[in-house]
Amino acid sequence: MSDTIAVRVDRVSKGYSPEFQAVSSLSFEVKSSQCFGLLGPNGAGKSSLMRMLYNKTLRDRDEGTIEILGLDPAKDELAIKYVTGIVPQDDNLDVELDIENNLAIYGAFYGIPRKALKTKIGELLEFMELGEKRKSRVRELSGGMRRRLIIARALLNDPKLLLLDEPTTGLDPQVRHLIWDKLRLLKKQGVTMVLTTHYMDEAFQICDELLIMDKGKKVLEGVPARLIKDHIEGYVLEIITSNGEAFSYKGPARREQTRDRLLFYSNSAAELEGIAHQFKAGEFYLRQSNLEDVFLKTTGRSLHE
Amino acid sequence: MNKAYPGLVHRLYAVWWRHVRVYAGNLFSNATPPFLEPLIFLMGIGLGLGHSLAPVDGQSYIQYLALGVIVISAMFTAAFENTFGTFIRMEFDKVYDGMIAASITAENLFVGEILFVATKGAFFAFASLVVLSIFGLVPTAATWLAILVGFFCAGMFACVSLFVTSFVKTINHFNFYFTLFISPLMFLSGVVFPTSMLPDFVRAITWALPLTHAVALVRDLSAGTFHLQTFLSIGYVVLFSGVFGVLGVKLLKRRLVN
Repeated sequence: MSDTIAVRVDRVSKGYSPEFQAVSSLSFEVKSSQCFGLLGPNGAGKSSLMRMLYNKTLRDRDEGTIEILGLDPAKDELAIKYVTGIVPQDDNLDVELDIENNLAIYGAFYGIPRKALKTKIGELLEFMELGEKRKSRVRELSGGMRRRLIIARALLNDPKLLLLDEPTTGLDPQVRHLIWDKLRLLKKQGVTMVLTTHYMDEAFQICDELLIMDKGKKVLEGVPARLIKDHIEGYVLEIITSNGEAFSYKGPARREQTRDRLLFYSNSAAELEGIAHQFKAGEFYLRQSNLEDVFLKTTGRSLHE
Repeated sequence: MNKAYPGLVHRLYAVWWRHVRVYAGNLFSNATPPFLEPLIFLMGIGLGLGHSLAPVDGQSYIQYLALGVIVISAMFTAAFENTFGTFIRMEFDKVYDGMIAASITAENLFVGEILFVATKGAFFAFASLVVLSIFGLVPTAATWLAILVGFFCAGMFACVSLFVTSFVKTINHFNFYFTLFISPLMFLSGVVFPTSMLPDFVRAITWALPLTHAVALVRDLSAGTFHLQTFLSIGYVVLFSGVFGVLGVKLLKRRLVN
């Protein structure tokens, strides 16, 4: 089972206009019951790609194919949406309905029988820890509660696939950890997930595989730990100085100067410690490298907007 | 698995049901005006102006006006619902984006909405008839069939309003639609005075306008007279709804799915 492919994206492109190509010939595969993460700066094409998976955005039809559980979104939109839970980037709850009715009406779109739906809504509100809010209006909910409600809504029809577009952006650490726990639980139950995020710790915590994209193209793809191992040195020394050029160093560590920091990368912590000795405590920070270092190395440090 | 999702009728019903729930959620503020509107209209124009006017088409003026008023509120509710209402749901609240992430299409969404608005039009016509009956202004039992006209009249205005909304970029543009199209219809469609009183060239225009046919159908049903004109009006309602319905749904879909 774990080796079947749930999502297959093959040379898919999306151009909104001749000048604006959001996604360019992108390919990847997601195995069943795995969490696949899409990382990339704002405007990299992550959301466009996510929307193409359920035909909310129309892919360029001259080349490229998408298969969701064996179906093409452009032809079998309804069958795909029936088994896919969608958590969009923007909150789009029904502000004219209370919490319970948001789920009840949504359940009717799936044709869930009334009695089963009632039980399901109770379960999901408990699962997402929203039980006390069932009669509240959407506008009375905090950002974290809205997000949890949107995830609950996506789970109404017991989806085989979950599409999560920045599910935890703007939430406090407690809510993020709660959502991660729930997502890990769902993965264990066999739900396949595609997730976009700007949080490297989120990607590292819950994704089995990652794709880093930039300007609509694939930059790197692989298992998170492996990406770090293969694409960045093991340790980083950060020195807070805007005048790093003045510091002379002839050793083997890779050197990088940003606006207000001088960075050294090396697989040898001892090498970096040697450099650090030449600075006062508090001026430097020696740590293990992480996914964010890989991300910044591959997509660059300048703003993308 | 291909056919696991609900069929077309269920999908349309689910959208219709969403709107009914929202409407019923504010029952007092939503269900009172349909009864007050015809009352105010009748008192405002009928009681004041009515006494000084001669009978029209063999009826007292107030009776003539009363029959015209039945579908007016159906027109207005449809025009508001599918301009401001649709625009707010689409652009501000993003409700539609949420809805079409479930197993319904953008087409289902808008057709379901048209059906709801038509239903609302039938309810508004019913409310008008209730008020008229209190004043003894429902001349024949067949007049109650105007509920059906309310349904189709609201359907026509739902379709043309969606069509207009599909072009609108900012919500203020709707002011033009109401000032230049919807409001003049009150005076050009045989509601407050017969179109026969208008100059010939204006009369030709009135027969091209949707409300004229809805009002004519109410008057024909009430009097129990059916002639070629009646069937032409039915044909007009069907064609008008069909053309603007198809165009409106297609163009709006492009704003949701692109």
